[in-house]
Amino acid sequence: MATRVAFENSNEIGVFAALTNGYCLTGINRSENFYSVFESELSEHIPVIHATIAGCRFVGRTTVGNRRGLLVPNTATDVELAHLRNSLPDSVVVQRVEERLSALGNIIACNDHVALVHPDVDRETEDVISDVLGVEVFRQIVGGQALVGSYCKFSNTGGMVHPRTTVEDIEELSSLLQVPLVAGTVNRGSDVLGGGLIVNDWSAFVGLDTTSTEISVIENIFRLSGAGSSSGGGQQGQGQQSNIVTNMRSSLIDQLS
Amino acid sequence: MNMIDNSSGGNIAAVGTTATILCCICATPISPNPSNTCSACLASETDVTRGISTEVTIHQCRGCSRWHQDAGKWIGCELESRELMALCLTNVSGLKKKRNENGGGQVRLVDAAWVWTEPHSMRLKIRLTIQREVVAGGAILQQSFVVTFIVRNQQCIECQAAFRQGTWKVLVQVRQRVGHKRTFLYLEQLILKHGAHRGCLSIETFKDGMDFYFPDKGKAARFMSFLEDVVPLKVKSSKKLIGTDDKSNVTNYKYTNLVEICTLCKDDLLFLPKKLARTIGNISRLVLVKNITNVIHVIDPTTGQTGTIESDAYWRDPFRPVATAARTRLTRYVVLGKDPVFLERNTSKKGVSKKQRSKLALITAARESDLGSNNSQLEERSHLGYLMKSGDLCLGYDLRECQLVDDEAEEERVAGKFPDLIIVRKLYGGVATGESDSAKKRTFRLQRLEVKKGGEEDNARGKKVKKESEMEQMDEEDFLQELEADKEMRTRVNIYKSDIVLKDDDNVDDEDDDDEDDQKITLDELLDNLVLDAKPDAGDDSEMHGDMVNDVAEGQEGMKFVFEEGERAAKDNIGYVGRDEALHIQAKDTAIPVNVWGKEFMEKDVKFS
Repeated sequence: MATRVAFENSNEIGVFAALTNGYCLTGINRSENFYSVFESELSEHIPVIHATIAGCRFVGRTTVGNRRGLLVPNTATDVELAHLRNSLPDSVVVQRVEERLSALGNIIACNDHVALVHPDVDRETEDVISDVLGVEVFRQIVGGQALVGSYCKFSNTGGMVHPRTTVEDIEELSSLLQVPLVAGTVNRGSDVLGGGLIVNDWSAFVGLDTTSTEISVIENIFRLSGAGSSSGGGQQGQGQQSNIVTNMRSSLIDQLS
Repeated sequence: MNMIDNSSGGNIAAVGTTATILCCICATPISPNPSNTCSACLASETDVTRGISTEVTIHQCRGCSRWHQDAGKWIGCELESRELMALCLTNVSGLKKKRNENGGGQVRLVDAAWVWTEPHSMRLKIRLTIQREVVAGGAILQQSFVVTFIVRNQQCIECQAAFRQGTWKVLVQVRQRVGHKRTFLYLEQLILKHGAHRGCLSIETFKDGMDFYFPDKGKAARFMSFLEDVVPLKVKSSKKLIGTDDKSNVTNYKYTNLVEICTLCKDDLLFLPKKLARTIGNISRLVLVKNITNVIHVIDPTTGQTGTIESDAYWRDPFRPVATAARTRLTRYVVLGKDPVFLERNTSKKGVSKKQRSKLALITAARESDLGSNNSQLEERSHLGYLMKSGDLCLGYDLRECQLVDDEAEEERVAGKFPDLIIVRKLYGGVATGESDSAKKRTFRLQRLEVKKGGEEDNARGKKVKKESEMEQMDEEDFLQELEADKEMRTRVNIYKSDIVLKDDDNVDDEDDDDEDDQKITLDELLDNLVLDAKPDAGDDSEMHGDMVNDVAEGQEGMKFVFEEGERAAKDNIGYVGRDEALHIQAKDTAIPVNVWGKEFMEKDVKFS
């Protein structure tokens, strides 16, 4: 299920929260509403942590991580770093990155296996990403946009890219990431997917303006509507499934004949 | 931090097939657009015409059918015309560009068409088609809608002024107690050139002057200070109490300023008082008025000595000319010969500039009327000698015969102390050759003020009126001749090419004259386009009086034309929705999305004004 949520009347919840399969970071809000949404959804499985980076609330844009690790920019203070290390499970490595482009969430998009990065990031950063997060790193642009973290979002099960991405690019990215991808929008037509959408393998949160159409697209591509069953039938998911079925069928026929 | 969205900078044109996405509202597959919404949803969600008024009031003057533009400006324009469309559109709020308005992108006017309305409904309708950027990214919607203009009556200032008793505050009465109107003709030209009559409610002419009515003191003061600069004058002011309110300490006055212009005119012959002659360079007492500005310039015709009489010096001791250069007082002479003048060495040359001296010449002339009958010739020095050559015609005072009004002067004249002939000006063109239609063949013409004929109710019609108009015609002719012969005077007024010149430019200037004649009128002096109505000629006097030269008349004339419905609009290249279609036209069409506004809309600003 995808949940609609807003941060102090802003739909750009991806700015204020970061979600992975191992933990969730939220920015500090005046009220606890934002936090409690995440807490009620996730706290049974993973820790939900209040965090700031360099004293700022936009943790979603400044950090990037997956279940193995968390990267924070060099602006993060030692106290914040200590807080994160204390709060996160021991299996999660927290690492500071000396990168000129300090909004890591904007320049890096990753799941537990692959990361897409802005073409201009340092080589050292690239190494750090692959070491800490344990991912393969690709320098890519999505839909003509260099800020891959802002304009695409993917988990281990599926992904969504900028609406202007061409079909050819989607296919290429899809084979790179090994997950199905779809072009889509959040927040009533906004193409800033990183801002409007936070997702892990079993849950998703979207901005309050997101329409039901957009939610249904998101749920289908991220396989959120009950273990990938195709009740609504997203075009791509269904297509892939039927592909598998036909492949299996043909291989069976091959074997049997 | 690079948190700033660089979507505009990093927009690399993607090559390949664009993926279809679902419209974020209705889930229709569409190709991505800035709002990522299908056009139908976009049109249903946003109102392009927001902030644009659909009902506007405009004002029309019932008296002259002109439309109120803004700030008290009234313009005459026909129904369905481009001008009226422009006027209407400027009154529609919300059409103008305002960048930082929360209404989203700017509005572009794409089309405007007149819609038929019932002639007496006092309504005008225009169907506007506009485009507006509804989302910041550049999704554009186009919508047509009808704006209704309610026509209300409001009297314009000029028509208000028709009921003048109520409105004028200051009256400037300009008077000159002489028998002719040349000064006023000249003044009229000066006023026109400087626009000094701006703010004037109405102008009336009287027998020896003009009245100017003004709505407030400032405008009148401005006008009078203008007059002060161009003629020597004396002002007498008075005021009359119209009403008073003691409680609020407000009083209402009407002011009357009597402006008296000095009686001396250009080309008048003066016999100066002895004292005055002595103060201005011991000039000879018999002098000609060379020209009038805020001082009086005089010249001694026999020596070329010049002098100026200050305005206050004149008013301290006013005197009248011994002969005025009006109408019949001047005699026509034919120049028979010219000899150089050598001033004797020991005579005083004080006050005579070298330039003036070089212009002197000894002219031998005969009266034109004498030419066939007798052999009387005159030989006299003239300050205009340099202009003359044998065969030229000129005007002058014949002091052998004319009667001077001053006793002392008359005695001297009889005693023969005066020259026999004083040449006043040379004649040019058709006047000189004595053609009957010389006035019509003038290469130039003048603009005229819109003047009402005021004064006594003429109960003695017929003869008297006829005589007056004849006199006026004569004055005008005199004035035009004066203008023709005086270059300096021409620089102070606006003269325009007449129809003759406009018709054939080459034909007029073919008479090659000697280079010496610098006073002759040349084509370069003439201004091109006098925006007059199509009246045949300035010489056509009977029509000149009530003649309005400004746009009021034009506007009114224009209104008289009756066009078929839509004909005028077609002529001006404006769309027109006829009567039958107008019944079915909707107040607001549904908005249609347009992909991009074409380049022509981006670059071209549809401008009406």
